[in-house]
Amino acid sequence: MEISSYVSIAYLVLFLPAVILLYGISPRRIRPYVLLLSSYAFFWSISGKLLIYLLLSTFSIHHTGAWLALVQTERKGVLLQADKGGKKAIRTAYQKKLRRIVAFSVCLHIGILIVLKYSSFLGGNINALFSALHIPVAFTIPKYAVPIGLSFFTLQAVSYIFDVYREKIPADKHLGRLALFMAFFPQIMEGPICRYQDTALQLFKGAPISYQNLTRGIQRILFGLLKKIVIADRLNVFIQNVFNGYAAYDGGIIALAAVLYTCQLYMEFSGTMDVVIASAEIFGITLPENFRQPFFSRTISEFWQRWHITLGTWFKDYIFYPLSMAKPLKKLTSRARKKLGNHFGPLIAGSAALFAVWLCNGLWHGAGWNYIFFGMYHFAFILTGNIIEPLSRRITGSLHIRRDSFPWMAIQILRTGILVCIGELFFRANGLAAGLAMFKIMITDFSLASIQNGTVFTLGMDKRDFLITLIAVMIVFVNSILKERGILPRQWLVTCRLPLRWAVYYGLILFVIIFGAYGTGYVPVDPIYANF
Amino acid sequence: MHQIISKKLGRWVRILAVSILFLTVFVLILFGVSYLFMPKNNLAEFGMEDVTANGILGERDNSIDVLVIGDSEAYSAISPMEIWQKQGITSYVCATSGQKLSASDTFLKQAFKRQKPKVVILETDAIYRDIPANDAILTRIQNLFSVFRYHNRWKTLRSDELFTSVEYTWTDDHKGFVYNGAINGTDNTEYMIPTDSAAPIKALNQQYVKAMAAYCKANGATFLLVSTPSTVNWNYERHNGVAQLADSCGVTYIDLNLAPNKVDIDWSTDTRDKGDHLNYNGAVKVSAWLGEYLKEHFDLSDHREDSDYSKWNEALTRYQKAVTPAAT
Repeated sequence: MEISSYVSIAYLVLFLPAVILLYGISPRRIRPYVLLLSSYAFFWSISGKLLIYLLLSTFSIHHTGAWLALVQTERKGVLLQADKGGKKAIRTAYQKKLRRIVAFSVCLHIGILIVLKYSSFLGGNINALFSALHIPVAFTIPKYAVPIGLSFFTLQAVSYIFDVYREKIPADKHLGRLALFMAFFPQIMEGPICRYQDTALQLFKGAPISYQNLTRGIQRILFGLLKKIVIADRLNVFIQNVFNGYAAYDGGIIALAAVLYTCQLYMEFSGTMDVVIASAEIFGITLPENFRQPFFSRTISEFWQRWHITLGTWFKDYIFYPLSMAKPLKKLTSRARKKLGNHFGPLIAGSAALFAVWLCNGLWHGAGWNYIFFGMYHFAFILTGNIIEPLSRRITGSLHIRRDSFPWMAIQILRTGILVCIGELFFRANGLAAGLAMFKIMITDFSLASIQNGTVFTLGMDKRDFLITLIAVMIVFVNSILKERGILPRQWLVTCRLPLRWAVYYGLILFVIIFGAYGTGYVPVDPIYANF
Repeated sequence: MHQIISKKLGRWVRILAVSILFLTVFVLILFGVSYLFMPKNNLAEFGMEDVTANGILGERDNSIDVLVIGDSEAYSAISPMEIWQKQGITSYVCATSGQKLSASDTFLKQAFKRQKPKVVILETDAIYRDIPANDAILTRIQNLFSVFRYHNRWKTLRSDELFTSVEYTWTDDHKGFVYNGAINGTDNTEYMIPTDSAAPIKALNQQYVKAMAAYCKANGATFLLVSTPSTVNWNYERHNGVAQLADSCGVTYIDLNLAPNKVDIDWSTDTRDKGDHLNYNGAVKVSAWLGEYLKEHFDLSDHREDSDYSKWNEALTRYQKAVTPAAT
């Protein structure tokens, strides 16, 4: 039985209930192993023998963690016996040793990731370069089968190694606990990218399934299904038609497709995250949130603090900060600070680290120039935002514009939304050239004619499809506004009287069943983030 | 201690009772909504899917002798009207394009609600079609609650349709056969190259075939596996695979691609798409062979003079008119 996604019937009707049942009837000490075996079964059902990569990664970080702990313990002992003058040399020597261990393990993980995911892209580009330079050499580009969730569990493994190295966490001697941290089935395919200290201990606690967790989990799964099946899947045919045949459409349709794709991506990914986090919640496990109402962001920088949060924080903690704190960049900062002042001085070194983050972010999303462009696009806006911030404050100050006033915030939110949609246009386009061509059409041939003459309703979505999508989006929007104001609709629902509560449940279930885009005539969107 | 246990137990009993009540109400709602959404007639304008295959719903009860299920190979190769014309046997082809065995099973069980066919033929091409777990589960849910199949009718549902009773009035003059007179031949005539190896059949597909065979047996029908001629979809390995499956199910397997049952197909004139599907010419040959086989091996009456079947003779006239250009 293959489980194609977290919103598939096989997962929701067979796999998840079976695991809940098995977990529920098992004694507490067995429960973590039920989760571990279920996780491997889940992985196997999708990637089969490629499970070996996950096992290899797990054994590797277990061993590396233990090795680091051994060296750290040894260092403590040696330092205790050393005299004051010799301590610095000992620290340096051990630091080098520890770094070599970390470098070996990280290279192993990132190396596997690069070989499996990027060798085709790299080889293709090298061949193209040789061809352009008339060098008669062409590499045979190998094709590898990529295990599901490779980018996700690799980042988890690397974070574990770094955290042990930084002594933020002790190395875990328990192989089973570490294995479950790496493989936990709700998160293995699309994240969230968890840290050991956030999930490992609660995963292995074997907490009983409570009525409250079960019902709250099912509620959130339903909401995730609404996002995925009613909205994301319904938009799919329209988006496929426009992106695959963009040359036939005017700028108005392209702009609409960019907006709808952004909507689809959010609904698909955040809907899946709802199902993922809810699945874990049923077992009493709190996974980190990946979204925090991103479309209320006032800047691109803020957007990325609210969108795919666990990826952003991973890049911040394991790329941005280490680079910013590296000796050459620290020296650069102190020199630049003297010449350029306190705002622009640190920006230079920070920008170098930021560039690395966004290059990695683009590449993490896919091996293609459009993904690199996507990363650089956001880098450019975040950098520009950082540079012009003082100027922007001065201008708004001199014009007596209150930066916390609703109209100003609304303009900022709208501007950020437009920039995000343009970025996603490049992200979704079939290559960078197609993205640029679509952008050009959007600018030079913008027209509302196709919307006014009804052509828009012939591209896979009729008027009723648009209407029901709009209603569903409004439901999500209202929920987001409430959450933004600190009101949790799910909490409120729990306190309602039973008839009202049940009416809401039945209404939501029927809404998904009736207005879901599934069955004959629909092509559900593939799990977009599972490919990253 | 006792008090704590009984308090905990009482809590769980309450939770169980509430859950059962919630699910019962939910199931009742689903039945109700399913009734509202189900097509009240078997025509496209009433929202019916696969109208041609579902034309069997409009046939008089217990009037079909032979039921055919399968994919496009079946509706391209077997023409019930040809069999009716020559043997007076009533048959219906409940085949759909790309039909998976999960859907074949649904058509089989749907047919038996109103009909008592003595013979059920499964065209074997569908046996090698993957059935994703999601499809298999969704089909089962759809069979229980039709709102899952017809949910998309919210777009066209009229208020006067909601509460009317179900009455299927339409049937197909071609009885599920899809006429195609186009000729697009192939040179690939040597596609059945003898081999001992057998193309493996997925476990789920085997289960479906076995379940259908058992269902037919329980309902007094003979279940036959038939491979209609196709140079694209059929080969010796698949023949061997199905032969093994037929053996394990204890059912008869007839391969019309291979002697002794080979139908004399002229691949330059009898296919519409280079050997993938038969055209009308090919269907006439296959139907003639099948009609003879059914007459010879089963106790099936000739209904041509029976006044209860007069509509079949009327349909035959219309059918002959429709296929005349190709026949001449």
